[in-house]
Amino acid sequence: MSQITGMPVPTAQPPSVRPPTREALLSKRRGWFFGLTGEQAAKLLFQGNATISIIVLALITFTIFSDAVGFIPQNRENLEVYRRAGLELVDLLRGQVQDHSALARYLSAARQAEFARLTAQSHTPADANARLEAYDAFADRHANLIGDHETVLGEMTDLVSSLKERHAVAADLRAARQNLIDGMRTSPPERAAALKAEADAMVIETIDFANEIQPLLDMRPALGEANARLAKALKELNAAIPAVDDPALRRKLVRFQELNTRYVGEIAETERRMMTWDQAKPIGIFESLSAFAFGRKWVTASFWQDWYGIIPLFAGSLLIAALALVIAIPLGVAAAIYVNQVATPVEQKFIKPTIEFIAAIPSVVLGFFGIAVLGETLRRVSQTPWLDWVPGFPMLERLNSTTAACLLALMAVPTIFSLAEDAINNVPRSFKEASLALGATRLQTIIRITIPAALSGIMAAILLGFGRVIGETMVVLLCAGNRIEIPDFSAGLGAVFQPVHTMTGIIAQEMGEVVRHSIHYRALFMVGVVLFLISLLINWLAQKIVRRYRISIG
Amino acid sequence: MSAPTQDAKIFAKPTAAKRAEKGVFWLLRLGTYFVLACAVFIFLDIGIKGGAVIFQTKAPFINLPFLTQAPETLNVFELNGKKTTMGDREFRAFKEQHADQLKGVNIETYVYSAGGIFPNIVGTILLVVGSIVIALVLGVLSAIYLSEYATDSPFVRFLRLSIVNLAGVPSIVYGLFGFGMFVIALDMGVSLLAGWLTLAFMVLPIIITASEEALKAVPKGYREGSLALGATKLQSILTNVLPYALPGILTSSVLSIARVAGETAPIMFTAAFVVRDELPWQVEKATDFLFQGVMALPYHIYVVASKIPQNEYTHGVQYGTAFVFLFTVAAIAMTSIVLRVRLRKKYKW
Repeated sequence: MSQITGMPVPTAQPPSVRPPTREALLSKRRGWFFGLTGEQAAKLLFQGNATISIIVLALITFTIFSDAVGFIPQNRENLEVYRRAGLELVDLLRGQVQDHSALARYLSAARQAEFARLTAQSHTPADANARLEAYDAFADRHANLIGDHETVLGEMTDLVSSLKERHAVAADLRAARQNLIDGMRTSPPERAAALKAEADAMVIETIDFANEIQPLLDMRPALGEANARLAKALKELNAAIPAVDDPALRRKLVRFQELNTRYVGEIAETERRMMTWDQAKPIGIFESLSAFAFGRKWVTASFWQDWYGIIPLFAGSLLIAALALVIAIPLGVAAAIYVNQVATPVEQKFIKPTIEFIAAIPSVVLGFFGIAVLGETLRRVSQTPWLDWVPGFPMLERLNSTTAACLLALMAVPTIFSLAEDAINNVPRSFKEASLALGATRLQTIIRITIPAALSGIMAAILLGFGRVIGETMVVLLCAGNRIEIPDFSAGLGAVFQPVHTMTGIIAQEMGEVVRHSIHYRALFMVGVVLFLISLLINWLAQKIVRRYRISIG
Repeated sequence: MSAPTQDAKIFAKPTAAKRAEKGVFWLLRLGTYFVLACAVFIFLDIGIKGGAVIFQTKAPFINLPFLTQAPETLNVFELNGKKTTMGDREFRAFKEQHADQLKGVNIETYVYSAGGIFPNIVGTILLVVGSIVIALVLGVLSAIYLSEYATDSPFVRFLRLSIVNLAGVPSIVYGLFGFGMFVIALDMGVSLLAGWLTLAFMVLPIIITASEEALKAVPKGYREGSLALGATKLQSILTNVLPYALPGILTSSVLSIARVAGETAPIMFTAAFVVRDELPWQVEKATDFLFQGVMALPYHIYVVASKIPQNEYTHGVQYGTAFVFLFTVAAIAMTSIVLRVRLRKKYKW
């Protein structure tokens, strides 16, 4: 050992064998390991490890970004097919037809409400139906007006989807042929010849989109006539609103009139957009990126068109994180103030470790608890009659944003608590003593002196709590309900009880099933990049806040 | 504050400010204990319902089959007017013998609801041990370099900053990295090795930061004293710095064990299999050992919580697994907290 490391160990050798001190100090140590001394080798070992760690950590950033960046050209291609094959044009018409059906649904919902009111007033169902006869005739008339459009839409859809299908088949074949050609390079000559023959035998269709969608474009004039008929008929319909007794229903009909007028206005707009629609208009890199960053739809494995827009996921993550913080901030900060300023030493001794201990509960266990206990409990509570006034009660779904947020709040509390407590603890004693000496009560001291002095630390604690919440996966995957939709706040605050999907949840759910290097795979990496950047931003902000507002203790 | 009145006494009625103080303090107290109550409730819920699965009143007092068998499908059927439940293996043997009795009997099946969680426990232990070894070696040695050898250059400062920042990156992003890097780019497939590396790199920033802090906490005088007596740098690190920093490093590493054991997201698509019949050591070649996927406790909880219905038959495996997992991780975390409290008392400079 002493030889290897080049250092004499006193206990291992009798003193007599030891070289004289002078000699030991002046003699040059021989290198034993590639000419290095033990000292240098050790340094190299440490340095090497540090280098490995650094390389790995750099690799993490690199891998995520490099896998994500391919998304942009792939999505551009995806959007290009959408335009070239005419799906975009068909979707314009589809939007018009769907708006019409939305109005039809509005009418039928109004009818349902009226029917319920009538039967509640002890009318028999038959009687109620008889009273609504004029209304039904009106609604039917409205619903039938869109028939022509639906026929055209059906024809267009068939045409376009077969076109897209052919394009997909051609792309697959092209990829297969590329595989064969790649295989040729590495295989022996006779095998390569067979591969070449196979590759040459493949018939790959080149689709001339401009030609293929000509029939689609030819349908537009007829559609224009149909539009004119529709607009005229809808205007007539607006004038022929049936007379109803119930004021509520009458109000709804007046509202229908307004909506209908707006719809008529939109017909012309849609027609204009369809006529000026340009199949050859190029799609830029920026458009592809903004389809991700501002896209309001996340639709995958659809037979029609896949969309990778992060907004619904981002909104879901944000909603859950905000809810969780609304619960966690008061609790975490209150606990920090209580433990540091109010609690007795005995309380301090057990509360602090216990709250820190909560951080050790694995998130998947919390998620399981949410499914097994909390979700059902919350729904039961929401069904109690005297809580009817709460918006969104009773809950429709057992697993929703609130269920997930409650559990996430519990995970954020330890983070917020520890850091906030540290910050409060770092406020100089003299601040507090001066305040107390001036006659302030303890509460006044806490509110006016201690908290303002510790505010930067508390803010940083909250930010890091937010980071913890937004990056959490298992709880939201298990408890948030996983419905990919932007929470609809038009119905008021009740939206907090809607199920949502999140950025972390979508990665965990879909990553296992995607094809390598497909657009979907890359889209998930893009979501990962967004998460990565958010966490960096939060960390940076927290550090900045702490540094900037740190009180100088003179 | 109200002005003192004429008949103010020493024990005057509490002023408004005092009353407000009392009220607010009670609110704070309420909030604090509410958090504690929530945590206690979760522990009790899983402790009681899961304890009922793990423990039993008869000797040996522990439900050994649950801890030593692999998960099986549970078959529920009505036999001679009695509800009967059987694990898959038992059921197949039974079916061979009494095929006639089962004719026309409606059989309900619940996956994973019979048997136990033995392969999951083994898988989790393997994952944790391997990744912690990798992370500790890399992390502690890097920390020694950063704290003892590296000079304070802008580059080193940048490194520290990035390490601190990487500690806050969500675990799912590490999972994504592991999937893209190890499973796909390096073609390891869903394997133990990919899981080890992913988990190790997830805790690496935490271990480096914590170890460096522990090393920095050793007073400078210890190093200087050793150097002044003629020891080399390595000697003073080995004899005068590391021994005093070791407790701190130990604490942080125990905490990172808890973190590694508790994470699900990073192993979901790097190492975990939903179900696998062979145990990890039943491999043909020794190298296959590294390249096999394993079943793991946290992933099993995810699967049984989300993929099978909630009813009396699935209840057992759900709560039993959660119980084993929660209390194992809690025990590790508890060790770390106790260690830290004791070490804080012991070393004060």
